[in-house]
This record gives sequence, structure tokens and C-alpha cells, in this order.
Amino acid sequence: MKNLYAPIRARVTRIEELSENVRLFRFKKDRGRFAKNHGGLTFIPGQFVMAGVWGYGESPIGILSSPYEDSFMEILVRKVGVVTNALHRLNVGDEMTIRGPYGNGFPISSFEGKDVVMVSGGCGIPPIAALIEYIIQKRERFGRVYLLYGAATPEDILARKRLDTWGRHINILLTVDHPSPEWKGHVGLVSEMVKDIEINPLNAVATMCGPGPMMTALERILRPLGISDRRIYVSLERKMQCGIGKCQHCVTGDSYVCIDGPVYNFDEIDKNWD
Amino acid sequence: MQREAKKLKVGIFDFTDCEGCQVKLVSLRERLLALLERVEIVNWRLGQEKNRMDRFDLVLIEGCPITQDEIDLLKLLRERSTHLIGFGTCATMGGIPAIMDQKERAKWYNKIYGPQYKPRGIDSLPLTSYVKVDFLIHGCPVDENEIVRVMEELLSGKKPAYRGYSVCFQCKLAGNPCRLINGKPCLGPVTQGGCGAICVSGGSPCYGCFGIRDTAQIEGLLDILKGMADKEEIERYFTMFLRYTKEYNEIVRPFMERENG
Amino acid sequence: MIKNYKMEPVIERNSIPSLLKILSSDYSIIAPQERNGEVVFDDLKDPECLVLGYKVTILPPKKYLFPPEEILFTYSGKGVRTPSITSKKLLIFGLSLRDLEAITQLDEIMSTPHPDYFYWKRRSRSILVGVTDESVHAPPGGDLILERMDDELYRAIPLTQAGKKIVKGRFFKKQDILPHKGEGNQVMEELRKLLLDPETLAEAVKWSRAEGHPVWEELGKRCIGCGICTYVCPICHCFSMENSVSLDGSTCTRCRKWDACTLPGFARIAGGYDHHPSQKKRYYNWYYHKFVRGYKEYGKSQCVACGRCQTYCPARIDIEKELLGIVKDYREACG
Ligand SMILES: Cc1cc2nc3c(=O)[nH]c(=O)nc-3n(C[C@H](O)[C@H](O)[C@H](O)COP(=O)(O)OP(=O)(O)OC[C@H]3O[C@@H](n4cnc5c(N)ncnc54)[C@H](O)[C@@H]3O)c2cc1C
Ligand code: SF4
Ligand code: SF4
Ligand code: SF4
Ligand code: SF4
Ligand code: SF4
Ligand code: FES
Repeated sequence: MKNLYAPIRARVTRIEELSENVRLFRFKKDRGRFAKNHGGLTFIPGQFVMAGVWGYGESPIGILSSPYEDSFMEILVRKVGVVTNALHRLNVGDEMTIRGPYGNGFPISSFEGKDVVMVSGGCGIPPIAALIEYIIQKRERFGRVYLLYGAATPEDILARKRLDTWGRHINILLTVDHPSPEWKGHVGLVSEMVKDIEINPLNAVATMCGPGPMMTALERILRPLGISDRRIYVSLERKMQCGIGKCQHCVTGDSYVCIDGPVYNFDEIDKNWD
Repeated sequence: MQREAKKLKVGIFDFTDCEGCQVKLVSLRERLLALLERVEIVNWRLGQEKNRMDRFDLVLIEGCPITQDEIDLLKLLRERSTHLIGFGTCATMGGIPAIMDQKERAKWYNKIYGPQYKPRGIDSLPLTSYVKVDFLIHGCPVDENEIVRVMEELLSGKKPAYRGYSVCFQCKLAGNPCRLINGKPCLGPVTQGGCGAICVSGGSPCYGCFGIRDTAQIEGLLDILKGMADKEEIERYFTMFLRYTKEYNEIVRPFMERENG
Repeated sequence: MIKNYKMEPVIERNSIPSLLKILSSDYSIIAPQERNGEVVFDDLKDPECLVLGYKVTILPPKKYLFPPEEILFTYSGKGVRTPSITSKKLLIFGLSLRDLEAITQLDEIMSTPHPDYFYWKRRSRSILVGVTDESVHAPPGGDLILERMDDELYRAIPLTQAGKKIVKGRFFKKQDILPHKGEGNQVMEELRKLLLDPETLAEAVKWSRAEGHPVWEELGKRCIGCGICTYVCPICHCFSMENSVSLDGSTCTRCRKWDACTLPGFARIAGGYDHHPSQKKRYYNWYYHKFVRGYKEYGKSQCVACGRCQTYCPARIDIEKELLGIVKDYREACG
């Protein structure tokens, strides 16, 4: 029997300051590489790790790096409380803690052969980032792929460099609310970009992320595109303490976000009454 | 693991009180020594001879500011400290000095000292009535383990957190019969836990010296108390330590007034 | 069922303290005793202080298998250390049938989806001996059950190897057992009946929220969120984590502590958003977990009708009465 509550040591190998409150952390295991599942992935896009600092606790954080990468993982951490502040105080070379990956992740094999529309905003990029890396790796197996990404200002667009790389393989529609003088792209709501999307709604899947804009995304983008609720996936956020289905904090309706989620089919979401 | 590289500069001050909370600090023994390894005590009247009035990273204040001198010192300490922390119920909620209300006090002064006596005390209000306070370590007296917990959190750069559970948690662990169920008032359910439920274990009620806990269901408790105590008694319970809390003024008083009218 | 006139092991009431004295060389004995007019499970220092035939204890025996607070690991630069649980083996004596049933449920909960290391470290080093005034038809769990025949005599029903070993001891003898009728347990008999149909309970509790049954508004006002019903429940098992760095900065500790979903903050996330923003929602979750989610996960309600939450709730909320009301209204509304 194992003490599943004890994390393993990891070492921070790279830190990128993406905005005042958001940092990207790359870390590797102290010993060995990350184990691969039978699909050859180190995790399923949409899964999360419990990332922490000794003595400060741990928090569920979506994995951002490619699921094919086994020498490191990357996460994007917004500074909001005890653990995330402690993570932000780490320097390259410092130790952090990891448990996981946990959660269900997107049903990626069912996405194959279909058009994919991903709607995101703010910190909602991590779970999709891994999904995009996955899609790009097997690009020929997917139909038309769109990422719709809205941010308040150009500075708030996270991981710009990565977006440029992705843009060579998938369609990226960026928009900001408040442009800077250099901004050449779209200004306004994400939903205004719907007209630029060409998909076969009967053979498409969609993902929604980010906190507030979910319902808007649904009403203004995915429904007008004709994608049915059954093929829309959302990632939910609930308080977590154990990550392994024991502590009862993450429950929503009949399920545990830490093991049955965080990814839910949108037509099931009304069962998650709390 | 993260450690603060330089020692925190700490000041420990006491206003009007019984010094019982500082006794608790001293009684930490080895744990106090461990703490002293990590901090530099710049000012502690009770604990050392050479004291300075520098800038402080952390100031602990015991007792209730009653005289003008104490109030002025409090304001000065606030200016000079990064973290100012109330230490013990006298500092956090007025505590023992605040139990008697002003009218009663005047009457007793008159009785004891005669009409000529000019009291030095202005009022007995908690620190928060005069300055912004960063954290309150409640307790009459404070609990040793809670002092250690809060110090650990401060030293490791965390924002100290209040306990989310009620006194009833430790009261049930101690195996006490419940006062409320036996028709005797108790403020345990609305009071922040962490004290070990010592009063109830010792046969007394909980008067709430650990402060009102987060999102306490005070009206629900008042409904229960109503069935076992009259208005004066309920008042007496809530004014023992909680008279200057927001909840007393915003929930308990209006409730009692409604009950009367 | 007991066959008529069968030779079965029995023990005399008077021999029980001596039995415990002998067992105490191998086990730490935990047993019900009186403290301040209440019965509590505690270390049995003097076997004569044992209380049998009690109604209910404040805290259930779960505290010995899932302590209110326990260290999950410490870390000190050198590495992670999981605390070893090596104290003497436990023998918990005098459990009621319902407490045995609750531990059987906890065993299942603590095995799903993964075994809980700490629970099982303790559980696998413990022996459970039930003592009951009721007649035992289907033993709900434990290693040995002593069923009271009369004031002087208990029938021994060993259920595991460990139980059989105890019964081989010299305080037990074989004797013909006459068919007899036990006393029956008068605690929460109506709730007990409801629990036989956990599906209806689940449907009714779910229905009551969906239909906005007024009982939740009322209970949300009455419940003072003290958490007592959780602490005293033999099946409640949720917890939260506490992390600390020691005063000297050398050791980091993660500890888990009993939590309760009736407390604020249980479902509150960073930034203050609360998924259970009112006492009504928090209190409803208590029922939802026990009767709806519990049923979905394990096919039974997470309640054994032990009576504790009813007995020790300072707001006098009676879960039996409330559930009876909800089920009655549900049946009327949905046939
Ligand atoms: C599936 C999932 C994926 C997430 N992915 C990311 C991500 O990629 N990047 C990011 O910055 N944030 C992410 N979050 C949110 C992140 O977990 C919280 O911001 C973080 O836990 C706050 O911890 P804290 O200690 O700093 O805050 P505190 O308020 O001090 O919280 C203390 C503890 O409460 C729990 N908690 C508090 N807020 C949350 C929350 N929102 N969700 C879950 N547990 C919480 C955690 O256990 C945390 O350690 C994700 C949350 C979930 C559920
Ligand atoms: S006696 Fe007071 S503190 Fe103890 S359980 Fe009852 S209400 Fe809570
Ligand atoms: S029981 Fe109540 S009054 Fe007594 S120490 Fe605890 S909080 Fe203070
Ligand atoms: S014991 Fe009663 S008052 Fe306390 S949380 Fe439970 S139901 Fe609410
Ligand atoms: S009666 Fe109450 S305390 Fe006992 S098992 Fe059921 S819910 Fe838990
Ligand atoms: S009912 Fe509530 S208190 Fe009990 S185990 Fe479930 S979540 Fe915890
Ligand atoms: S996080 Fe503990 S059960 Fe999901």
C-alpha cells in the first residue's frame, strides 16, 4: 500500500514571467522521466497535477506542456493564495512537489477525424494548450482546428511565442478588448469572430475554458455554429484538497471533479447542481 | 523549503491587562527558544532589559489601550511596523477591561474614589478601534499551540489564517456533554475553535473569547438561546467578550431589540 | 438464524473484565466507559470500568481508525517521511451492531478508489468486538460479536480467525443455546426502516431539492453549522489538509484534519467564490452526500441510524423526522 498523499520531488528548471501575477514553471522529476501511459503520453490533455511547495500545500494546476514530452512538464500559475504565492517565490533550481497527473482529461481519441473548436480566455489556456500540442503532433488525424482566444489587452495574451508556433498548424483567432497602438489584430468580443469559422457542425467537437465567459461562449459562439451540447466539453473548477476522491471538497452533484472531471460533457453539466 | 534569510525584528508590547498572555508566550519554553533563533526581539519590556524603538517587522500587542499614552504608542507602533498583531482578547476585542460598560464604570469610580477622582482611562476599546490590525490572536488567555501556529505561518511568509471550525469540534473530542442540549447557554458554536474547549471541559460556558468565527450562524444560536435564557442573560453572554465585534452590533443587538418589541 | 439447541461458545458477564485483562497483554483495549455522565470510547485502564448496554457514545470509534488529526508526511531537506504506525494492536471492545456496520461501510469507502494508507495501517492492526443486547441475525461486521442472552451470559459469535482465536480462550465454554429473543434496538427505528430502501431515500432527497421543498429553507435557518453532526457520525469521513513549516524552519508537515461540509469554507475557492454559499446549501450537501451520492457510489445510504447526530445536535435537528417528512412528501407527490 502506498501513501498516496505524499508527493514526489520535482525541480524547477525554468520560470517565465508572463504577467504580473502569472508565471510559467517548467519542472522535471528529481530522478527519472515522467511515466508514459499506454497511449505513449505522459498525461491526457485536460488532466492536472497537484503542484505544491513543501510546508505550503498543493493546488490543482492544469498541465500546459506537450503530453509527448517526458523530460519535463510545464504549468502556468496565477498568484492568488498560499500555495500559488509560495510557487511564485521559487527560483530556478528550487524544489517543488508534484502528485498526479489526476483527473479524466479530454476524450481525445473521440476527437480524431473531427473539426475542433477551442474557446478560451485568460488562464483558461493551460488545459487547451496541452490539447493543441497533442493535436499538432498528429495533425493529419484532425479536421479543421480553431482556437478562439480573447484577452483584455495584448499584454494579457499568455504564451505569445507558443501561439505563433501553433499558428502554423491550426487557425488562431485572437482578439483583445483594449488594443495597444501596435496591435494589428481583432478588437472586440470573441463571439464576433464566429463568422470567420468554417466547420462541419455535425462532425465537430468543442471545448470551453476560462471562468466567466463560458456561457457567452456557448450562447454566442458554439450554438450559432451548430455544435450540439453533447459534443461540447468544459473543464470545471472546484476546491480540492486530496485530488484522489477522498476528501469530499471537490464534489459537484454526483461526481468528484478530481476523478470524474475536471472535463465534463456540457449536456451533463446541469447534473452538477453545486 | 523557504526560509526568511534575515531575522524578523519583533516588538512585544503590553497595554492595560493582566499579562497572562505573555506568561503563555514564556511558557512555550523550548518552542520560544526556537522562535528566538529566528527573530530578533528589539523591544520586550517583560522579557529583556535593553529595548529600542526601531522599525519592526512584527509587533505583538497584549492588552487594551486605555490611557492616552497607550493610544498614542499604539498609533506610533502602527506606523513603525509591517505586521501589527493583537495578542490576546484584551487587545483583540477589549477583553476583561472592556467587560464593564462606561456608565457602570463612572458609577463605581464615584463610589470607590469619590466625585473628585479623574480617571486616567479614556475608554476600553480593542486595538482595531484605533488602528488597522493585520491579525488577531484571540484568547483569554491565548493558546500556546495557536501562538506557535500563527508564528510558523508568519515566519514562513504565509498570511495567517483563522480557524474555520467552532469550539464544538474540540469540545466533542473532549467528550463533554453539550451545555445547549442540557438547557445551559454556550457560545461555542459561533466561536472560532483552537482553544481546546477548555472552559466547557472545566465546567464553564464558552463566552467566545476566541472571537466570532467565519460565517457564524448567530441568529440560529440566538433562537436556541432564547429558549433557555432571558434577554439579560443572553446579553451578558454576548457582552462578556464580544461587545465590540461587528456581529454583536449588527446581529445580536437588533435581534434582542426585535425580541423586545 | 440460530439453529435450536446448538452447542455454542458462551462467556459469563463476570468473566469479561478478566478476558480483557488477558487480552490487554497483546492489545491496547478501547472500550466504552462513563465520563461526566456520558459514555465515551477510551483506553480501558481498569476493565471493571467497562460499560455495556449503553445507548450511544458521543464520538464513534472511527476516531481510532481515522483520527481527528494525523500527520501524512514530514519533509526535512533529506526527504519525505511517512509516519510509521507501530503502536500496539488495537482491540475495540463493546461496539454496537450499528457501529460495526458503520466500520464495514468505512472499510469500503476507505478502499475506493484507492486504499487509504493511514486508515488501513490502523484498521489492519485492529480487532473489533461487538457487544449487543439485540439478537444477531446477520452480523454486520467485526471479528467477534457477543450477544447478550441474559444478565449473566453472552453468546459468542466469532466471525474471523482473530475472533475464533479469542473464543478458544479459557473464559469461553460451550453450552446449549435456547432460542431467545433479544431486546431490539429502540434507536431511530423508523429511519432504520427507511434505510432498507436506499433508492427511495436517494430519489426523495434529490427530489426535495429540485422541487424546492421548504424543509431546506427551514433547516438552513436552524442549523448553526457547528459541525457536531459530522464529528459524531460514525461514517462521515471528509477532511482538509493543513501544512506547516516548523518554528525552526527545519521540518515541513502535512496533516489531515476532520472537516465538515456544514462549515463555511468547505467549498470556497481562492478569491472567495463559494460553491456552497449558504447554510442551506451546506446543510443540504450533508444529506446529499449520505443519501444520494453515497447511494450512487456504494448502493447504500451512508447512515446506519446510530442516533448520534440527532442526540448531539444543539439545534435539535432530527434527521429521522426530517427524512420521514421528505420521503412522505415525495411519495405523495410522485406516487
Ligand atoms: C482542475 C483545475 C485546474 C486548474 N488549473 C489551473 C491552472 O492551470 N493555473 C492556475 O493558476 N490555476 C489553476 N486552477 C486554480 C488553482 O487550483 C487555484 O487558484 C489554487 O488552488 C489556489 O491555491 P492557493 O493556495 O494559492 O489559494 P488559497 O486560497 O490559499 O487556497 C488554499 C487551498 O484551497 C484549495 N483551492 C483554493 N482555490 C482553489 C481552486 N480555485 N481550485 C481548486 N482548489 C482550490 C487548494 O487546495 C489550495 O491549496 C485550477 C483548478 C482546478 C480545479
Ligand atoms: S457545550 Fe458549547 S462548545 Fe461544547 S458542544 Fe455544546 S455548544 Fe459546543
Ligand atoms: S471555551 Fe470559549 S471562552 Fe473558553 S477559551 Fe475557548 S473560546 Fe474562550
Ligand atoms: S449538529 Fe446540528 S446545528 Fe450543528 S451542524 Fe449539524 S445539524 Fe447543524
Ligand atoms: S444517524 Fe446520524 S450520526 Fe448516525 S450514522 Fe446516521 S447520519 Fe451518521
Ligand atoms: S456528509 Fe458532509 S460532513 Fe459528512 S462526510 Fe460527507 S461531506 Fe463530510
Ligand atoms: S479533491 Fe478530494 S475528493 Fe476531490
